[in-house]
Amino acid sequence: MTITTFDKNMSAIAFAEAGEHDTARQILDGKTSKKQPRKSPAPVAKRKPYLATIIFGTISLFAYILLFTNEKLVTDIFTMGGWRWMYPVGAAFFFSFIHGAFASNLLSALGLEAKK
Amino acid sequence: MKKLLMILMFTLLPLSLSAQAALAAGDGPSKDMLKGIITEVHAPERTITFQKDDTKELITLALGEKMQPEDIKLNQKVLINLDKHAETGNVMKDVSIMFIDMTVSKLLALLVIGAIGGLLSGFIGSGGAFVMTPAMMSLGVPGAVAVASNMCHKFPKAMVGAYKRWKYGQADIKLGLVMAVTAVIGVQIGIKIQKYILAQFGGAGSNLYISAVFMVVLVFVGGYVFYDAWKLAKGSGEATVGKLALRMQKINIPPMIHFKTANITISAWITIPIGVLTGMLAATIAVGGFVGVPGMIYVFGVSAVVASATELIIAFVMGAWGSVQWGLSGLIDIRLALLLLATSLIGVQLGALGTTYVKDYIIKVVMATTMLIVAISRGVKVPGYLADLELISPLEPGTIALFEGISFWALVVALGSAGLIIIVAMIKGMTADSRSKKTILGVSNG
Repeated sequence: MTITTFDKNMSAIAFAEAGEHDTARQILDGKTSKKQPRKSPAPVAKRKPYLATIIFGTISLFAYILLFTNEKLVTDIFTMGGWRWMYPVGAAFFFSFIHGAFASNLLSALGLEAKK
Repeated sequence: MKKLLMILMFTLLPLSLSAQAALAAGDGPSKDMLKGIITEVHAPERTITFQKDDTKELITLALGEKMQPEDIKLNQKVLINLDKHAETGNVMKDVSIMFIDMTVSKLLALLVIGAIGGLLSGFIGSGGAFVMTPAMMSLGVPGAVAVASNMCHKFPKAMVGAYKRWKYGQADIKLGLVMAVTAVIGVQIGIKIQKYILAQFGGAGSNLYISAVFMVVLVFVGGYVFYDAWKLAKGSGEATVGKLALRMQKINIPPMIHFKTANITISAWITIPIGVLTGMLAATIAVGGFVGVPGMIYVFGVSAVVASATELIIAFVMGAWGSVQWGLSGLIDIRLALLLLATSLIGVQLGALGTTYVKDYIIKVVMATTMLIVAISRGVKVPGYLADLELISPLEPGTIALFEGISFWALVVALGSAGLIIIVAMIKGMTADSRSKKTILGVSNG
């Protein structure tokens, strides 16, 4: 059976009226089988960094546990003064990188991203 | 222009370092404070044997009049304040245990104030310090340790916040560094004034001075920021560069510095006083940002979003510098710093991304609200200090307790309301954003 232009137009109109605009366009274009990739203004959703969140979170948690199980030793050494200022300042830097990375990934994993 | 900036930095840095050397102790603890362990108590003689932390030297100290031998705890690291007015030099004024026992409720309290302080910091560039230190002190942390630990938590938080906001294209690194270098000088001047007042008028005089500065700055600057934000909220919401800033930008005294992100060209002679004032205020009330951010907005003509982001760079440099000072004296309780960081690193990043969803004036609203409520918290303390100085008749104990209560709760309300405004503005911004995205999607789909 041959499909005339009239038939094509009528079926396109039927789809268009039913709200299936894409199918209607496809019929008019004569491409019924293959779908053309459509450009979307909305960015494709990025994969959420679950793995990174878990990895950094684990390292951070481990570091916190290590610190608090050795509380007495740490507080004693860190407060000896002099060149040992490097201990608390270094620890603060270390935690800011590890825990900061965890926090950043956590917010992304929760879907909280800055406005583009 | 780069050359001029380098010259400026290299002339100012040695200047600040020499000022630092001259002051020796810098912004560290006072010399009347000893750190170490009490090894023995001699109750009949009312003396103790004390082992100094740094030299391990054993010394004998006499108990102060109000101290009881049974209150002394042995073999725990303590901070001892010496009585400066005692006839012999070795009389104790008070003793405080350096490391508090970390109970679950204290731990939770630190996590909560860390989170809200972080959120505020990420959003308005500064915040939290005015509440962190008193909060830690009310948990039983000695004052010097509270200040030191807050400092050590502040710089990593500011660093992470500054990095995020730089990534969003909001932080002007050059402006931040220029301001930070001059602020370090301001800190030295601030400390010198404080020391002078302390020597002249004693502790109550010093407290009164701090409260007076707090009140004047917070009420005037906070009031102006609030007025400006209110005007913007009623109008289009789009901020324009103020008349004062335009006039300042026209002053053409070399070296003129161009700041790319802030999009201004201004004479270094204008940035220096604002930087110095920021540092002075930081040394006096611990929150330099309450002058730094409004200064950048109204004197330089920078937008609130860039000013608050740039403030984080200043906070990082000054916090790192201060942490080294306090670390040299060994007064940082790393547990407190890291517990605050546990939630403030999340809060600061949430606050930072929040700025991308809100209009510029919301930052001003949050800043002004915080400043004005904090002003109340300090204001109610003034009568107490006036009574201490015998300028007014002594207050009833009930009145003192009432004022203390108002002061504490005002801080809680300041943090709470700022946090609430930020969260509400952020949710509104995010909902509007996702709605507009859906509309675009709907239109394109036919």
